[in-house]
Amino acid sequence: MAESPEIRSRIKHLLVDALHLEGLVPLEIADDAPLFGEGLGLDSVDALELVVALEKEFGVRIQSHEVGKEAFASVRTLAAFIDGRLAAAGNPNAGS
Amino acid sequence: MPGADPETGTARTVVVTGLGAVSPLGWSLESLWEGLRAGLTAVGPFDRFDHSGHRTHIAAQVDLASEPRRARRRWKARRVSNADRFAVAAARAAVARSAIDPGGCRERTGVYFGSSTGGMFESETYLETLLAAAGGRGRPPAASLLASQQNNGPGDAVARDLGISGPAQTVSAACASGAMAIGDAILAVRRGEVDVAIAGGSDSLCRLTYAGFNALRSVDERPCRPFRRDRAGLSLGEGAAALVLEPLERAMARGARPLVLAAGEAATCDAHHMTSPHPEGRGAAEAIRGALADARLDPLEIDFVNAHGTGTPLNDAAECAALVAVFGDRTTDLPVTSTKSLVGHLLGSAGALEAVATILCLLHGEVHPMPDDGMSDPGIPLRLVLGRPLRLARARHALSTSLAFGGANAALVFTRHGDHDAAR
Amino acid sequence: MTGLGTIGPCGHGREALAAALAVGKPAVAEVDRGAGLHREGGARTAALVGERDLSRFIAPAAARRMSFPSKLAVAAARMALAEAGIGATEAGGPRVGVYLSTTFGSGQFTELLLRQVLLEGAEAAQPFYFSECVANAPAAQLAIAVGARGPNVMLTQRESGPLLAVGRAAQAVREGRVDRALAGAVEEVTPLLHALLDRFGALARPEGARPEMPRPFDRRRDGFLAGEGATILVLEREDAARARGAPALARIGWSGAAFDSTADVSDWGDGHVPLAAALRAGLGEVPGGVAGIGAVVSGASGARRGDRIEARVLRAAWDGAALPPLLVPKAVTGEYGGGILAPGLLALEGARFGPTPGFVEPDPEIDVTPHRGAALRAPARVLLTGLASGGGAAWLVLERTS
Repeated sequence: MAESPEIRSRIKHLLVDALHLEGLVPLEIADDAPLFGEGLGLDSVDALELVVALEKEFGVRIQSHEVGKEAFASVRTLAAFIDGRLAAAGNPNAGS
Repeated sequence: MPGADPETGTARTVVVTGLGAVSPLGWSLESLWEGLRAGLTAVGPFDRFDHSGHRTHIAAQVDLASEPRRARRRWKARRVSNADRFAVAAARAAVARSAIDPGGCRERTGVYFGSSTGGMFESETYLETLLAAAGGRGRPPAASLLASQQNNGPGDAVARDLGISGPAQTVSAACASGAMAIGDAILAVRRGEVDVAIAGGSDSLCRLTYAGFNALRSVDERPCRPFRRDRAGLSLGEGAAALVLEPLERAMARGARPLVLAAGEAATCDAHHMTSPHPEGRGAAEAIRGALADARLDPLEIDFVNAHGTGTPLNDAAECAALVAVFGDRTTDLPVTSTKSLVGHLLGSAGALEAVATILCLLHGEVHPMPDDGMSDPGIPLRLVLGRPLRLARARHALSTSLAFGGANAALVFTRHGDHDAAR
Repeated sequence: MTGLGTIGPCGHGREALAAALAVGKPAVAEVDRGAGLHREGGARTAALVGERDLSRFIAPAAARRMSFPSKLAVAAARMALAEAGIGATEAGGPRVGVYLSTTFGSGQFTELLLRQVLLEGAEAAQPFYFSECVANAPAAQLAIAVGARGPNVMLTQRESGPLLAVGRAAQAVREGRVDRALAGAVEEVTPLLHALLDRFGALARPEGARPEMPRPFDRRRDGFLAGEGATILVLEREDAARARGAPALARIGWSGAAFDSTADVSDWGDGHVPLAAALRAGLGEVPGGVAGIGAVVSGASGARRGDRIEARVLRAAWDGAALPPLLVPKAVTGEYGGGILAPGLLALEGARFGPTPGFVEPDPEIDVTPHRGAALRAPARVLLTGLASGGGAAWLVLERTS
């Protein structure tokens, strides 16, 4: 399933804004770069912050147990996860 | 040793001569002990504020309606927060039990308290009204409605109530505040800065911490189950606890009965992360070792542990790692309990309430249980006291630990009086 | 004391502060009253940190989740460590403790979180804000920044907090609990805090068209100037400092604390007698007693009752002897912030203090006149005072080492 580039782009902007990643240009975040640990080096608080931001931005609900797992590994996996959520909710914003 | 006489190296022995507590289990020490023995959690539905928008709907609240009537009459309606109320009640009970006369030693009595949010609950109500007024809805609140807002409120209220003129300080170190306050008091008495120290902590439920811990997804929807396999977070509680500390010689000279020795204390910091503990509990292990060294005890001599035990997956694992690091093979044999399983996490007063619980266990020769709820975690090889109190009639030395948000750690060691080696 | 870092309304570092104190000019700025929380006709100014970019002290990756007070504390500490000649790799360890004080903690983040909870609902609460809402966040951030694994203490004792924190830190070093301590104070003054202080009547009031002015010890004083900032000291044993070849800026002498139980929860009381007794007893341990104090760096701020009890305590402690020069830095820097720690060191170093701004006429009730700007001989010893609203009290003596 190919998630839309638009969702990936929104997520990148969200990362920079919600997590105060000053100096980082959203477009420069690689789709497959690890978000946690290495790569962007985000931590558990960032994960929760991200969830609040994602819930607000996309109108989805994310359960505690889903946070920080495979879905959150990279921008690409996150976008696929969001896309899946939107499709399940019958949201026209979902990618094809 | 901190507080020791620089010439002889010996330090005054510090004893606890009074205890007091206000908790979700009641306004008295007796109701606290009864509740602890029964091992039933006080965490449940609560109505202090609207929590309908949260993921969780439980906490352990103090029954405000049960506040002793005498005390209620004495308060002016304004300027008193719940946290102040709890603190003063606990301190008065401790002083009454110790039978000291604060008026007779005002300038030689100090107050060492801990609080993480002081009068925040009352301030939230004030702020809500102020924000509404700024938005054109209603009039601004009267300044008099703002109860003592800062974290020094409860400690100052205790000092004011007792009329003391010695030092009064409040430490605000999140979940380690109460234990650190007691630690500071022990040092103050040892070095002769004061002859009597009233030490403790107080915190009340408030929207800030309830929302904050929920935002961190650290709160369990069910009453917390520290160290258990399916633990899913902490439960919030409120209350206050206080101890009266003085030099052993002074207590004996005035015919008071020391309850326990405040044998050792230590405080460290993980310096690791703002919300997560060091995964191996490094700072906690250092605090435990420090308190044991301060008490001149070997780990083998500790009879039971009152753990920090919040019920959050990471904290419990880190604390377990710390206990294993210090106690080694003995860990599987050393009884461990967590008072938070019964009264929730009292934040700034947790360390103080748990010190009181530890002392009560020593005095009664029983370790209070945690509810026998959930499954044991193979990764947590601790000997948990579950379901029923564990009779330890000959328990002499006990350890109480506090691992705070932000990384501060504190450990306290108490020893039953009469078991203390006079030569130390 | 081998290092001191300070960031405040007068700028970054001691030189900027010294320049402002020499002239006697309060460092005030207009407070943003756009949120509509301020009282009509109330105070409009505070002593605010102007240069808020602290990136030369803290890398962006580390700073991104820090509240302003945390940044202030870390920046001031790095300044102090640099002066003490302590490199990043040696700054931490289990024998380094942190002893700070704050009155309000992280005002901005607490307010933002509360606004989310109160106005938007529970689920809008951002975890990012909460981790900095605990009062000890700056102390925790400082510990992480330098790797300080000894005791991590944040005291909240209002205006007496800074001196209390330094006193406790000095005790810890002396008693061998730690080898080194980072001690001091940090405060942030947000528009909401300013509005609340004004609603309480704590702040100096505007005089018609003229903006408000704190008037320490003056007959017409009616409140203080709120100020933000941070001051952190590096404390270590004198012999260890000497062995390192580190500068000994000052020796921490006697420190003491007491409580005035006549004080109401947000005001000063009338209990100067026991406070003076505690001060006098403490100064009795200082060589020369009160006569050994070359200058008092007073915590007076223009608060009506605060200055009164401060004056009475000093008069009673000096017991008829003439008071030494009374320096009042809070007339320039405002109340809170890094307290009077940095001005205290400057006074010991013989820095020039200008006339006390705002002071025009003594109050006959207390009859104390603060420093008028004359040049002073560098004192061998200064007494710093900090009487808090609510009743707390702390004092600290700084001594020359040479």
